[in-house]
Amino acid sequence: MKRWQMIKLGLILAMYTIVGCVGLAFVYNSTSKTIAQRQEADLQAGLREVFPKATGFTPTDTVKSTNPTIVFDAAYTANGPSGSLGIAVKVHGPSYGGPTTLIVGVSIDGTITGVKVLENKDTPGLGANAASPTYYVDKASKTTFSGQFAGKKLTDGFVVKKDVIAITSATITSRAITNLVQAVGKAASEVLGTGSSSPSPSAVLPSADTVRTSSKPATSSVPGVSILETSVGTKAGTIVGASAKAKAKNYDGEVTVLVGVSTDGTILGVQILECTDSQGSPILAPEFAQQFAGKKAGAPLEVGTNIDAASGATSSSRGATALVKATADALVKALAGGGL
Amino acid sequence: MKRLFGIFVNGLIVENALFVIMIGLCSAMAVTTTVANGIGMGVALTFVLVMSELIISLFRNLIPGSIRMPIFLIVIAAFTTIMDLEMKAYFPVLSKSMGVFIPLVVVNCIIMGRVEAFSSKQPVLDAVFDGLGMGIGYTWVLIAISVVRELLGNGTLLGRQIMPSSFAPMIFFILPPGGFLVFALWMAASNDLRRRLLAGRKPEPTQDSCCTLPDNGSAEKA
Repeated sequence: MKRWQMIKLGLILAMYTIVGCVGLAFVYNSTSKTIAQRQEADLQAGLREVFPKATGFTPTDTVKSTNPTIVFDAAYTANGPSGSLGIAVKVHGPSYGGPTTLIVGVSIDGTITGVKVLENKDTPGLGANAASPTYYVDKASKTTFSGQFAGKKLTDGFVVKKDVIAITSATITSRAITNLVQAVGKAASEVLGTGSSSPSPSAVLPSADTVRTSSKPATSSVPGVSILETSVGTKAGTIVGASAKAKAKNYDGEVTVLVGVSTDGTILGVQILECTDSQGSPILAPEFAQQFAGKKAGAPLEVGTNIDAASGATSSSRGATALVKATADALVKALAGGGL
Repeated sequence: MKRLFGIFVNGLIVENALFVIMIGLCSAMAVTTTVANGIGMGVALTFVLVMSELIISLFRNLIPGSIRMPIFLIVIAAFTTIMDLEMKAYFPVLSKSMGVFIPLVVVNCIIMGRVEAFSSKQPVLDAVFDGLGMGIGYTWVLIAISVVRELLGNGTLLGRQIMPSSFAPMIFFILPPGGFLVFALWMAASNDLRRRLLAGRKPEPTQDSCCTLPDNGSAEKA
């Protein structure tokens, strides 16, 4: 009796579910086409906005994101009357109030052609101004927040409050969008073969007249630090210094640096090449890396004492400083050991 | 007819879901940063509420008591999904700006509360008028809150600049604490009006047990 009752209730519930599902199927069928068209139209309008002169867009899958929190939804080659104009990428990544989605255009001459905010869930009146066509970061020239990226060179720092004007009271949103634009710029420039050319070790070995790849790579005893390339700088045949590109885990991503050290153990120059930390882009500013030049490799390097953290990225600054220190130490050891 | 009108009016102030029964507050706080969102959410909820009450009242004798909750949920979820799809297709901008709150209509306490307390026991017409009254009662509150928040917090109404450009937007009103403040002020005003409406009148026993009205005019959840 009791079992029969349970089966009966189950059947009744199943009936309601079936009726509900059939109803939903009908509605889904009648709306899915319109929804797909809307999204396609949105996307096309966005692509046109960043490449107004393009005659068409061909999907491409060559552009890859290196940062796991930044996802490239789709990438397109913008076709012009005479060949490719550049690449447009639909990208989403974390922002203050949830993921934000942009379309970013990168031209073949290594500049951002435009940025369009498709979706932004940040605070209305603050972060949501990123998507507003009437919120001007520069009232005189009527430049919107996303509008300021148009024409920006990929070799720029992309640092909010330095070369990117922030939205008032919405620094996190400003930074999140700037990071996305920069990530797309980097990835696209690699495909387009433009952008900043691969960093050359001679940049951090100013005193050398020739730089060659070392025959014996430097190694670091610090766990987690991997030295990718070691180069030796010579002047008139004698070794004046060595440089190394090194990589390590950082706050929530990875950081790659290029460090040059002279034979007397002075840091000649540092470049922060890449930082995939979610809030780490401020350390890419040249001002941060320049602090290291002239410091002794043997002396302690510490954020807060002799190195100033890049504002808003203290954890990333700390990690990068530790990596610079480890790399410099490894280079000093290698120079002392000889046989480079 | 008078009875139906009474049911309809009941949801507006005397038994307002947000101000008196005090259910469904989270969505009311979250979406009221702009008037457009407030209207959209109100209309969306009213649609789901009326349709769910209609269907459940229609089938009230065919729903076994022991599994009524899952059946209510199936009906509510079906209508919410229908509305979500329709909004995506025909009001994409609104649908985007309300984001996650539309799917969350499913678990909005107002719908579950009204379905359980009212339409599962009342005839179809009464249920529809209850849904309309409660839905519009919810909508006017959302609009009232969002007008204040958008105007003071952003200087605009429905996206149009209202305040002079010298007006510095008070961001406080856009942020959650401002939402609570505006909500509380409106609630005080509404409940004062409600007390006056009920003054000198012995409150009729309401049809549901969800919320009874003591003589002093303050409502408490049962």
